[in-house]
Amino acid sequence: MGKRKLRRGDDDAALSITSMMDMMTIILVFLLKSYSTDDVSVSPSKDLQVPISSAEKPPKLAVNVVVSQKEIVVDGEEVLTLDRVQNDQGLEVTAVPADEKRGQLISALYDRLLEKAETAKDLAMRTGSDEFEFKGEVLLQCDKRLPFSVIREVMFTAGQAQFGNFRFVVIKGG
Amino acid sequence: MAKKKRAAAAEELDLVPIMNMVTILIPFLLLSVQFVSIAVIDSTLPAIGKPTEAQPDDEEKLNLSVAITDKGYSVLGASGVLGNPDGDGATVPCLRDGCPGVDAYDVSKLTEMLGQIKDEYPDEENVILIPESNVPYEVLIATMDAARENPDVKVTVNGVSDVARPLFPFVVIAGGVQ
Repeated sequence: MGKRKLRRGDDDAALSITSMMDMMTIILVFLLKSYSTDDVSVSPSKDLQVPISSAEKPPKLAVNVVVSQKEIVVDGEEVLTLDRVQNDQGLEVTAVPADEKRGQLISALYDRLLEKAETAKDLAMRTGSDEFEFKGEVLLQCDKRLPFSVIREVMFTAGQAQFGNFRFVVIKGG
Repeated sequence: MAKKKRAAAAEELDLVPIMNMVTILIPFLLLSVQFVSIAVIDSTLPAIGKPTEAQPDDEEKLNLSVAITDKGYSVLGASGVLGNPDGDGATVPCLRDGCPGVDAYDVSKLTEMLGQIKDEYPDEENVILIPESNVPYEVLIATMDAARENPDVKVTVNGVSDVARPLFPFVVIAGGVQ
C-alpha cells in the first residue's frame, strides 16, 4: 500500500483538486443564493448615500430618477448638474442652479420626464395591456444629506410632468 | 502491472473542465451580487393627479399632519395642534441643539405620540408631512418610518401575530414651510 502511493506520487505530481472543488462549490452556492434579479439597482457612491429605512415594500420598475449631491440622472442619462451654495445658516448645501429653474420647476428635468411620460403612454396605448398602463410612478433615489428644498423641487417637477406617485428608494434595515 | 496502473488512473474524475466553469462563474456571480437589499416607500403628491393607492375620502378626516421644523416635530390635526405643545411651539422638541441634524429628532417620542392618536382615530391611515426647506432627506425618511409603524408594540393583523403595530402607513409630503 505504502509502496504504491509512493510510486504514484513520483509518476504524476497531480494537484489535489478535491478540497478546492469543495470550496468552490460552497462559494458558488452562496453567490447563487445572493444573486438578485431586482428590477432596481442602487449603486451607492460618495455622492449618493441612500438612507436606511424599516420599509419592507419591494421595488417595482418605474422611471428612475437619481438625485445625488452632484447631479440629477433620469434612467441613466444625466440631466442636470447641481450646485453647492451657502444657505441662510452659512452651511454649504446642494441646490438646483437658479438659472435652471422656472419658479419651483426644474426645466431640464421637466422636459425629460414629459418625454418619458409620452413614451410610457404610447406604449400603454399600443399594447393595450394593463401591465404597461401609465400610472405616473417614479422611483426616487436621493442622497440622504440633500435638503428638502431640492427634493421638493424634484417632486414638484415630476408632479407637473404627470408623475404623481413617488417611490422613495431606501436600503432595508434599521 | 502496467494494466493495473491504467485502471487506477481511470477511476479519478477529470475535474479540470468543471474547475474552469466554476472559476468563470464565480467572478460573474460576484459582479451581480447585491449586498444591500432595497425597498421603497410609496408617497403621492397631495394635489396633482389622482392617487392610485391610498385613496383618501374626505369624510370626517383627522387630517393628521407632522411639521418638521428646526425646533422639532409639530403634530397637527384638523382641530389644531395636538398634544401638549411646549413653550417654543414644537410638540415633540429636539433632543438637543443640532436640529435639523439627523440624530437630534426625537423619533421614538413621535412614534409614541402617533400611537396615542391612532388609539383615538383607529381608522385613520394618512399622515401629511410638512418639512422645512433645510431638513435633510434622511430626517424625512426617519419620520416616515416613525409614522408607519411602532415596532415596540406587537399586534395581530389578519391572523398574522407578532407584527409591529401599524400607525399611519400612507404618507403624503406637502409643499413645506419656506
